[in-house]
Amino acid sequence: MSHIRIVFKFEFSRIIHKKSFWISTLAFPLLIAAIFGLSYFSHQASSTSTQKAAQSKFSIAIEDKSHLINPLIISRYGASIVKNKAQGISEVKSRKIDAFFYYPPNPTKQSIKIFAKDVGLVQNYKYSTVASSILKTSLAISVGSSEKMQLLQHSPKTTLTTYVGKKQAKGFGRVIVPGIFLIFFYITIVLLGNRMLTSTTEEKENRVIEMILTSIKARSLIIGKFIALTITGVIQILAILTPIVIGYIWFRSKLHIPGVNLSQISFAIGPIIVGMVVFMLGYLLFSAILIAIGSAVPTAKEAGSFFGFTIMAMLVPFYALSAIVTSPNQLIVKVLTYFPLTSPVTLLLRNAVGNLSLYNEVIGIGILFISVIFTARLALRTFNYGILEYSRKVGIKELLTRKN
Amino acid sequence: MVSIDNFRMDLGQSRIINNLSFEVYEGETFGFLGSNGSGKTTTLRALLGIYKPTAGSLCIKKKPYHPSMGHLLGYLPEERGLYKKETVLDTMVFFGQLKQMSSAKARKWSLNYLERVDLLDKANTRIDRLSGGQQQKIQLGVTIINDPQLLILDEPTKGLDPINRRLLMEIIEERSKANATVILVTHQMEEVERLCERIVLLKDGNRRLYDTVDNIRNQYSSNIIELEFDGNIIVNDFLFQTSSLTHNFATLIPNKDVATSSIIKYLSNQNGLNIYRFEVMKASLEDIFIDIYKDDQKENISI
Repeated sequence: MSHIRIVFKFEFSRIIHKKSFWISTLAFPLLIAAIFGLSYFSHQASSTSTQKAAQSKFSIAIEDKSHLINPLIISRYGASIVKNKAQGISEVKSRKIDAFFYYPPNPTKQSIKIFAKDVGLVQNYKYSTVASSILKTSLAISVGSSEKMQLLQHSPKTTLTTYVGKKQAKGFGRVIVPGIFLIFFYITIVLLGNRMLTSTTEEKENRVIEMILTSIKARSLIIGKFIALTITGVIQILAILTPIVIGYIWFRSKLHIPGVNLSQISFAIGPIIVGMVVFMLGYLLFSAILIAIGSAVPTAKEAGSFFGFTIMAMLVPFYALSAIVTSPNQLIVKVLTYFPLTSPVTLLLRNAVGNLSLYNEVIGIGILFISVIFTARLALRTFNYGILEYSRKVGIKELLTRKN
Repeated sequence: MVSIDNFRMDLGQSRIINNLSFEVYEGETFGFLGSNGSGKTTTLRALLGIYKPTAGSLCIKKKPYHPSMGHLLGYLPEERGLYKKETVLDTMVFFGQLKQMSSAKARKWSLNYLERVDLLDKANTRIDRLSGGQQQKIQLGVTIINDPQLLILDEPTKGLDPINRRLLMEIIEERSKANATVILVTHQMEEVERLCERIVLLKDGNRRLYDTVDNIRNQYSSNIIELEFDGNIIVNDFLFQTSSLTHNFATLIPNKDVATSSIIKYLSNQNGLNIYRFEVMKASLEDIFIDIYKDDQKENISI
């Protein structure tokens, strides 16, 4: 059995037998399920109580200075007319009526004043609903058509169809699939980053590395560990995504999540390939950086303090999000696109919004590829020199100048 | 079995090892000695390919070491440990597999070994739940799981309790009987005298001694003289020093280049001194070791 396979099997078995692995894997979907559940029951409860509140009957008095309220509607609601505002308020106070609605001369600019018996924060909402409803229904009668009234009330729906040459463009739908690589990249680094960082410090802290290195090449050890960590990461991501997908498919309507029209989503092969390549190179780059840091420091605790730095490097492009989306030719966007630490996120963002030219793609991926090779070699060098430094950090200068 | 030729190792500006050469023959138990920081561990790491030498060659079976030769080797480093959170058996099988054993063979060997050291019931226990002494037994087991032809033990008795020390000695003797080569790095000179045929002594990266134990004792020992007597001994600083002196017993350490006969002559000329016993003792390796280090210190001071 090859050494890589032996290390992979040992490492994989160690990780998946850890309680902490399953706790961290299952905690996220359980949390998501709990949030969905909470959101569902909360929504159900509030909508039921709002409906009940709106439907509950109560006595009304009206003063209409707008002259827009139709008498038919007043009678349908069983409302009475008062002489003035003072009388209306007085009747509410003396509990003769439950609510008094004062319609001002110009309701477009002035608000409808409601004076009512307090029935609690949620129940009080019914007064506004009924006051608005009386005005809208009166207007609908004067317009003479409920459809026209609806058009006046709500902005009409528009459907945009654009073309790239003769082909119909996918619009926002084109962002979704390439955008998934960006989300995956974040999830992967957040889930696996810390484990990558501490993957080699364990051998160092346990003083087991010297025995291992006499039986196996450093490269085989790192590759075996890397593969094991990647596969456990895939398991974690699947464990996180499965309940989300199930929740979406089966409970979408109950959770009031908008549906996705698959015909509107672009599955253009170009951005998918670019997204996949950048995702993989970005993952390799950050893994190599984290392994190098882990090999250079003496303990997992010290390694942990560098994790924040890595996450920060990944977040930097989001501070320039508007420039990345709208002005891809700005200098800052070019720097973020080509600087290795910010390059994966910037390239994935630009690939998603569709402003990454072929030239940008080639240069960006090229730089990323070279960075991966360089960083992987640096990680191996750091591992070779740093792994036996049990009590001190290996500095960059030493790393670059040491010859044996 | 092992040949080191003109090995030089520089780390930054400092020279750690200076043109070191020695050979370890097949089947012998060889002592690799030196004070802390003299370069022993660095030499072993370079021999095992962990460090790259600045110059010279370090070979095992006439070839530079490569991890593919791991099945030949049992290495117990000075800085040693185990995967704390793994079970005993999984850890042993993992190391066996790294040394090119099949999983089944490594498992079988491990179970036999655990039975031998009374830890069979701990096979599926996590290592961090074992006592320090039990962990040491596992460490020794992992070192010899592949019945190595070359056993390199870097300060093997460091931190060992008496039971494990005995186990280690048994292991060394067993491997010796099986014609394995053993390189023993230790500060315990009585172990070297008991187990090793030849030694090399390193000081500040330089070879200071390299010969059989007997030759070194003959060559370097300034003999110690034990006396039992009546009367008074007048100490002559030109001839000897006394390391202990009572009213009827003395240990004399002759000065460098002073013959025993000169001391006999001097003592026999002292009036009122009756000598009952005059015995010339050979110095131990430890004495030689300390003398060499002291002499070098004096030379350094005089320079």
